[in-house]
Amino acid sequence: MAGPSHRLLIAGYLAPALLLLAVFVVAPVLGAIGLSLTNETLTGPDALAPRFVGLTNYGRLLADSEFYASFLRSGAFVFFSALVGQFVLGLLAALLLARPLLRGKGLFGGAILLPLVVPETVASLAWASMLAPAEFGTVNRMIGGAGFAPIAWLQAYPLQSIIVINIWRGIAFAMILFQAALEGIPRELAEAAQVDGASAWQQLRLITLPLLRGAIVLYMLLTTIATFGVFGLIYFLTQGGPGKATSVMSIYIYNHAFNFFEIGLGSAASVMMLAVVLVIGLVYVRLLRAEI
Amino acid sequence: MSAVRAAVQGNRGSEPRARGGRRLGTSLAYLTLAIIGIFCLIPFSWPILASLDPQAGPYLAVPTQWSLANFGRLLSDPTWLRLLLNSMILSGGATIVALATSVLGGYALSRFAFRGRRVLLFGILFTRIIPASATIAPLYFIVLRLGLANTYHGVILVEAAQQLPLTLWMMKGFFDTVPRELEEAAWIDGADRLGSAIRIVLPLAMPGVGAAALFAFIAVWGDFLTPLILLQSPDLFPISIGLFRAYIGYNLVDWGELAATSILYMLPAIAFYLLVRRYLLRATVVGALQGT
Repeated sequence: MAGPSHRLLIAGYLAPALLLLAVFVVAPVLGAIGLSLTNETLTGPDALAPRFVGLTNYGRLLADSEFYASFLRSGAFVFFSALVGQFVLGLLAALLLARPLLRGKGLFGGAILLPLVVPETVASLAWASMLAPAEFGTVNRMIGGAGFAPIAWLQAYPLQSIIVINIWRGIAFAMILFQAALEGIPRELAEAAQVDGASAWQQLRLITLPLLRGAIVLYMLLTTIATFGVFGLIYFLTQGGPGKATSVMSIYIYNHAFNFFEIGLGSAASVMMLAVVLVIGLVYVRLLRAEI
Repeated sequence: MSAVRAAVQGNRGSEPRARGGRRLGTSLAYLTLAIIGIFCLIPFSWPILASLDPQAGPYLAVPTQWSLANFGRLLSDPTWLRLLLNSMILSGGATIVALATSVLGGYALSRFAFRGRRVLLFGILFTRIIPASATIAPLYFIVLRLGLANTYHGVILVEAAQQLPLTLWMMKGFFDTVPRELEEAAWIDGADRLGSAIRIVLPLAMPGVGAAALFAFIAVWGDFLTPLILLQSPDLFPISIGLFRAYIGYNLVDWGELAATSILYMLPAIAFYLLVRRYLLRATVVGALQGT
């Protein structure tokens, strides 16, 4: 049915959007691959005439213990904040808010959503006062009431601190997803199970969780991708420090490109990060295609 | 849990015990939700109290006198007004570009059958998973080569492109809900394709356009990474960068003003959430759960 003029019309409608996507979203990915094969820098003689250096940057990257450390930090950050913390608290909140006859659902839901809704710089700033050192920080005051000595959280427990902050920010993401999935489970199932004498734990384990399996897989994929990319929330508070303690992959890439001016090496790290995300993304899109 | 089990068993046994168990279960639900809710709200206590405290410091304190002086100072501070104006220019500009291009593109994806449409749709979805923080170096080079570095329109185009996967999918979804027959009737009456699209389909999809616009606006409003990389002139900085620079200038910080800034900065985001509540899930998973 698509004649030449018709095809031209379709192309005309799609061109502006696809052009923007191609130049500013897809080209940077290809650019990262290209740059990772050069000795490009932001300053110095190599900035003007970058040379092709093959896989040298990847060799340097794989010999760089700091790269492995960043990768592991990202892994720990994703695992503990998103796959464990946000997942457990978000699912718990969704399950509890799904109870009939519960009052104040809007209030609880709103409170949980607030950390996700505010701009990430505000979220970081709010936590700056929470984790402030000496006896004046909000958390230190709370533990001080229980007789504990004040702790300089961002210095003593930097990675743990940003994990807690990211849990706080993302509970709502899990909650929203699981609330929607729970709505799709007919209430009769729970009622029938109750009549049969199933305990609440049995209902959760044998009925609700199996029916949520699709949503859980979807959540794990989406949150892994999103959490790998987290930058501002951490950078605002620590810039990757103290030392390199909170230098996850995104901050490693930023520092190598814009503070150490090593675009080639930074881009090789970008390609590694993209590879991880793209593999997860392929699984995600596969699952979606199966579903639609 | 055992309380709930008692309630279930109570269905067959004594009635008072069942009611007592259920009440305990409900109390536990309230308690758990309250703990999660308080965890989510506590970090906001400093920005809120400090913004109302003329003698605010970096630590949580109940103001000895309450006043709106911090907000008053902001509104007469040219630096802050500049940040606010820049944020509005960048978010507004990017929203207009993203929406104009995705209304056109979304219409084509919804209405025209062409080869590769499905692949294109999933390709667009796939670009959404690329973490912006992974491709910052090549993006910076592309923007530099195009002569768009350190300009409003450079940031606007990049931000618009980053919003496109979401807005395109949203617009396609909303156009899908407008019956084809309405348009076809107009063609029979002699209207051309573009005319009928503008006069018949667009008005019906207007709530969708509004929702997509809000999503794009608020995402750009809160963005920190893109302006951090692409802008060098303080004259062009949006609020997110202003907050960051004020915060890392630790000793020179006017904490009351910083807190007031963060409050004003997060208000549009909260208003946005209240407006788009019902579209939240769709955007979170890009229409993944309920097959678009």
